[in-house]
Amino acid sequence: MIKDFIRKRSINICLVCTGGCNGCDIEVAALLSQRYDLEQYGIYLHNNPRECDAMVVTGTVSKQWQEKLVELYNKVPEPKAVVAIGACALSGGIFQQEGEKVGAPVSNHIPVDAEVPGCPPRPAEIASAVLKYVPVALANYRRKS
Amino acid sequence: MSYIPIGPLHPGIKEPLRIKLKTEGERVVDAEVDLGYMYRGVEQIARGKPWQKVAYLAERVCGICSDTHPRALIEGLERIADCVPPLRAQYSRVIIGELNRIHSHLIANAIYFLALEHETLGIYLLNIREKVMDLLEMISGNRVLYSWNLVGGVRMDFKDSHLKKILENLREVEDHVTRYRKMFKTGPLLGLRSRDIGKLSKEDAIDVRAVGPVARASGVKFDWRTKHPTYVDYFDFEPVWRDECDNYARVMMRFDETLESIKIIRRAVNELPSGPIRKDCDIPRGSIDYRYEAPRGELVYIFETANHGIIKDITIRTPTVPNLEACAKHMFKDSPTISDAVAIYQTIDPCMACTERVVILDENNKKEEFRSFFDVSSRKGSGEKSVDKQTKI
Repeated sequence: MIKDFIRKRSINICLVCTGGCNGCDIEVAALLSQRYDLEQYGIYLHNNPRECDAMVVTGTVSKQWQEKLVELYNKVPEPKAVVAIGACALSGGIFQQEGEKVGAPVSNHIPVDAEVPGCPPRPAEIASAVLKYVPVALANYRRKS
Repeated sequence: MSYIPIGPLHPGIKEPLRIKLKTEGERVVDAEVDLGYMYRGVEQIARGKPWQKVAYLAERVCGICSDTHPRALIEGLERIADCVPPLRAQYSRVIIGELNRIHSHLIANAIYFLALEHETLGIYLLNIREKVMDLLEMISGNRVLYSWNLVGGVRMDFKDSHLKKILENLREVEDHVTRYRKMFKTGPLLGLRSRDIGKLSKEDAIDVRAVGPVARASGVKFDWRTKHPTYVDYFDFEPVWRDECDNYARVMMRFDETLESIKIIRRAVNELPSGPIRKDCDIPRGSIDYRYEAPRGELVYIFETANHGIIKDITIRTPTVPNLEACAKHMFKDSPTISDAVAIYQTIDPCMACTERVVILDENNKKEEFRSFFDVSSRKGSGEKSVDKQTKI
């Protein structure tokens, strides 16, 4: 109980780039700057799936990522949430064309709790989506066991 | 002797890539690089599409140098059409291009300092970069993807208020970057982590055809902007270069180039000519090999057009491809610790979104193999040809 209560207030996020154009990733990196100052909201950004509460997924899920993304999702401790960022993660964007085999959207592979549209979305939008929806998703998460 | 894998997901590396380090104790002896996590088939999608769609797609090859990719495509198309854009359009391309270069260099250095765990300097740099992003957003309407270039000119015109704001923000950026450059130059711990680490000698740099700041930090004095007509005619551009050949030189190169770019923008804003920003051109059938200096180095667009600007075939070679080769072959050798290897990898300013080019299908074994463009080109020996073509333009 206490663990869940605390985790809602300090969200550790893991950024997974699954093959976009990098635009969304640099917008997430821009969140570290003093102007946005992600850590004042209790969000800590790092790339370790075993320690995180929420995965932030960007990019079209390219062929090499399709199995690995599910593996990564399984490594995240419960309860967990997933935020998909950008046009590529939501629909494949411009890379979803005839004859191409990108695995977008992300929701085909893992359950997605929040979606942030935009090519790319602004940093403030990303931060507000994580702040608003990740605590809700963590509270509503149904454990498998 | 043991193997240590880094990636595809690693706190020091922002983009997916696997580096396999062969180590003796803590010392790195050899390295292998495994690619393919970002492959999306850009060239395959671009075939048979009109240039408007391909410019949109070229912008999304890489989100960091997102001005340079469409610009290389469009200046290539203009050269096929023998069409010179109006002078005001050329100047505004220079302004947006150099702003883009500043933001790319600042984020590259910021990520290097974050990889060294020197968060103060990293976050200072990210913060001052926001001033440049504000300018880009104010001028073009988007923070990352600008859609600025069109065949025969540019999309929008500057207002007087824009120009005033550019000069105002750049003064602030220049003050701060000069201060951070001094902090890096005089900081004793930063010097210990950076000097004499990740050596790439001039001979090795030429041997693996390193490009951009990586080559210029090793004493190869070359920049494609010295061959670009606008820079030659109106800006008296001289490339910056250093000869220390190590991590320190490469990070310092980016600080120096940022200050150089600020000077270029200031001159362009002060001398901005009046007049139209776009003119009509019809694109005939033709082919071209066009090279331009991206923030990371030489960017190659080789393409063939049908009438009215339909792209028949296109090949893109991005600067990270040879730089990654330089990193894997020469820089990782004798790196003192594994955390230094991560820092060395960050100094080449890698952009994996650019690099993933080729997928090879083995029909007999039903196996797919991912390779960079460099591997394929060097195997066939066509790398030599492209060097000959460089001198023609």
